[in-house]
Amino acid sequence: MGFPLLSLIILTPAAGAAVLIFLRGDDAVRWTALGVTLVDLALTVVLLAGFDTATHEMQFTEARPWVPALGITYALGVDGISALFVFLTALLGSVSVLASWVAIDRRVKAFMISLLAMQALMLGVFSALDMFLFYVCWEAMLIPMYLIIGVWGGEGRVYAAFKFFLYTLAGSLLFLVGVIVLYFQGGETFDMLALMQQDLPFEVQSWLFFAFLVAFAVKVPMVPVHTWLPDAHVQAPTAGSIILAGVLLKMGAYGFLRFSLPMLPEATLYYSTLMLAISALAIVYGGFLALAQDDLKKLVAYSSISHMGFVTLGIFALNARGLEGSILQMFNHGITTGALFLFVGLIYERTHTRSIAEYGGLMKVAPVYTAFLALFTLSSMALPGTNAFVGELLVLSGAFGANLAFGAVAILGATLSAAYLLGMYRKVALGPIRVHAGPTPRDVNARELAAILPLAAFVLWVGLYPKPFLDIIDTSVTHLLVEVQSRGRSQ
Amino acid sequence: MSAAVLYQWVLASLPEIVVVTGACILLIVGQLIRRGQEHLIVWAAVAVVMIAALATFLLAGEVRPAYSGMFIADRFAVFFKFVFFLATVLTFLLSRKYADIEGIGISEYYVLLLLSLSGMMIMASAADLLSIYVGLELMVLCTYVLTGFLRRERRSNEAALKYVILGAVSTGMFLYGVSLVYGLTGTTALDGMAAAVTGGPRDPALLLAVVFIVAGLVFKIGAVPFHMWLPDVYEGAPTTVTAFMSVAPKAAGFAVILRVFLNPLVAASDVWIIVAAIGVVTMALGSFAALVQDNFKRLLAYSSIAHAGFAIFGLVAGGPAGIASVMLYLLIYAFMTLGIFAVVVMMRNGDFSGEAIPDYAGLAKSHPGLAFLMLLYLFSLAGIPPTAGFFAKFYVLVALVEQGFVALAVVAVLLSAVAAYFYIRIVMVIYMRDPDRSFDPALTPSVRATLALTAAGTIGIGLFPAWFLRLAQTSVFGG
Repeated sequence: MGFPLLSLIILTPAAGAAVLIFLRGDDAVRWTALGVTLVDLALTVVLLAGFDTATHEMQFTEARPWVPALGITYALGVDGISALFVFLTALLGSVSVLASWVAIDRRVKAFMISLLAMQALMLGVFSALDMFLFYVCWEAMLIPMYLIIGVWGGEGRVYAAFKFFLYTLAGSLLFLVGVIVLYFQGGETFDMLALMQQDLPFEVQSWLFFAFLVAFAVKVPMVPVHTWLPDAHVQAPTAGSIILAGVLLKMGAYGFLRFSLPMLPEATLYYSTLMLAISALAIVYGGFLALAQDDLKKLVAYSSISHMGFVTLGIFALNARGLEGSILQMFNHGITTGALFLFVGLIYERTHTRSIAEYGGLMKVAPVYTAFLALFTLSSMALPGTNAFVGELLVLSGAFGANLAFGAVAILGATLSAAYLLGMYRKVALGPIRVHAGPTPRDVNARELAAILPLAAFVLWVGLYPKPFLDIIDTSVTHLLVEVQSRGRSQ
Repeated sequence: MSAAVLYQWVLASLPEIVVVTGACILLIVGQLIRRGQEHLIVWAAVAVVMIAALATFLLAGEVRPAYSGMFIADRFAVFFKFVFFLATVLTFLLSRKYADIEGIGISEYYVLLLLSLSGMMIMASAADLLSIYVGLELMVLCTYVLTGFLRRERRSNEAALKYVILGAVSTGMFLYGVSLVYGLTGTTALDGMAAAVTGGPRDPALLLAVVFIVAGLVFKIGAVPFHMWLPDVYEGAPTTVTAFMSVAPKAAGFAVILRVFLNPLVAASDVWIIVAAIGVVTMALGSFAALVQDNFKRLLAYSSIAHAGFAIFGLVAGGPAGIASVMLYLLIYAFMTLGIFAVVVMMRNGDFSGEAIPDYAGLAKSHPGLAFLMLLYLFSLAGIPPTAGFFAKFYVLVALVEQGFVALAVVAVLLSAVAAYFYIRIVMVIYMRDPDRSFDPALTPSVRATLALTAAGTIGIGLFPAWFLRLAQTSVFGG
């Protein structure tokens, strides 16, 4: 066991949150929070730099006994599936702090503490190799997120916070029972790597598959358990939306990749068509809902449902292109949708309206803002040259390989996304200037640009040269697929 | 009887003797002490408990049966006695200021708490239905009086009267069950009963006897259908007494139930089906009824019903893991419940009653630290990690699944999702409403100490449960 880099990455924001308690003055709190997230980001860059793309084994592993009587260990590690998410979480952490610099003007300290606690727990989820540790991080996140939405959110924040909390809690509690059943079925261990080697009877796998499905589907969210998402997104402050869309939604899909596929391969193969159908439904349904929205944030929220449908479609296509595409697409979605929520937040801070109908001709007032908005809009609709194109293309080709009909439905969804995104951009940015009463909104300033530029850079980097990202993913995915196909069919 | 045997018996029950003697001395000293010196009684009472705790700790090394099989001082009893000590000492600390405010700071108050403590200690060590009865009566008689201690308040008087009448009925049922058992087996000793029955055909009269005993005991832990007294009594009693009653007598009730129910006699009678049904209904009723409560104490009463339901699931699971899960649950429950009650108690200052939940609106703005502690206790009660409340529930679920009760585990988690709602509703009031008044909590050093200890337990057991889990596992009787 070498240097505990992963522990350091997780504990940095946690320690930062503890330090913030003793600080006075909002500016000191903001700068410290930013410093902590930047240090954490630097640490994850170190992690990626030292990441060996040639092996599917867990890297940077750590293990310490935690509750020996129950076989619970504090075990961490990353492989090609989780490495990018660790980085994404840290990146969006910094962006979130920048996004709340002036947007959060009351109880700044408590907000930044919640934000940092959130980051520590999210990093814990992506690097946990012990089911108990995974569950603790997964569920503990509800506390800071509940506060972020409920205290600093919009008008209907209390309702949205409750809905978010209870939906996710109900889903995760079944997951908890599933975890305990898996513990006893798999030989009294919470070690995820050991459980991946178990061959459980098909009936057990089926039950567990659905218990896990409830938890993961709520988080993704998949239709029909998606209704918490528009409320939570619309009411959450900008940073909350960025974290929700950028990282939290990925956890559901990550759960499929970490639990359902490797531990329940037979059930995964058996129910893959069902999952493809639900995913295709989400793509189209989310697309149509987005088409009908007048609220900017709601539009992006529903588009998330549609885009996450692509992710689950790629996962349950169960072929290399589909899986790689969906993992890359999750990363892309985190970048692009995080950026879109940031942009909605920026304009909302200036005009205090999110209604698309009240905007028009922003390009003449805020050229830099609209130029970047164009980039992210195009990225969200997967224009070639942007990041999402690579991901969506891989997912679609994977989906066609698995099932022609669902691939075709997904194409329809992609078309829909062009329709609502271009429509939104046309109404907001083009045409005559029409900003509702109040001062003309100013263009982005340096701090806002600092949050936007890294995201824009990743949009183009992944879009033009995705190889380094795919390299990270490739080996682990190939290994996962071999495992699923061989163990799932052997019985 | 030789002197050596007597010496052994006295040694086995030394902690109980310390507490009873201390209570008697305090009763006399309390009459002699001058006005304005009442706080000395508090510290004397704390000292008595500390000495008893020390004695318990020193004598915990071996199993000591005493009084011809009526009494046993084993690790199981020691575990529970420490839960009682914890609850009693924290109640004393909380009472220091509260008793002054309510004008109940007379020595009898502390003496009754001590006597109640001794009753519970006897319950934890009792190995015979009759010694169980003696301990039980000693405990409840003291709590009857304590419930009615706010003499000028109708609520308090009404609660005490209700409690006495219903309590007496339940005791009667228990005694009737005991008499049936004696008639059928010729003994009231727990292990003797088991020996008398083993191998014999199942007697319907025996099941009847068990049902009566179950009914009498279930009353004490406030499980359905014997829960009706609980919200009224919790609401009417002085808040410190409510805090005490929701933890210590409940744990004592469970200690007896564990000993009686896991006795081979009861285990043979399929009574666990009844117990499982009681658990489900208790948890459901507690969770759903708490949803509509606006009085903090009433809400906590229903919450304690729901928690009793969850602990009963551990009882259903049975086996060493099941017993250990109930014990750990009660220990953790003691920390978080006393913590939240400490807040309610200290909010009672001036004209602020601290009982109406809407009164807490916006507490987070003026008292962020206190609000954070409440958040901690409430999320722990709701069972959200990384707090101790989560681990308590988790371990009960582990015990359930181990025995194959997966369906019960699913019911338990779904009901705890319901229960989570009313806890986070309080968090909402504290954090997401604007304050419409200023707060003046009675933050005395002793209350601070209580908060620090309970918070440390709530978060500490949550993050590092290994040691406490081992403690519970090694304290299971027979081990």
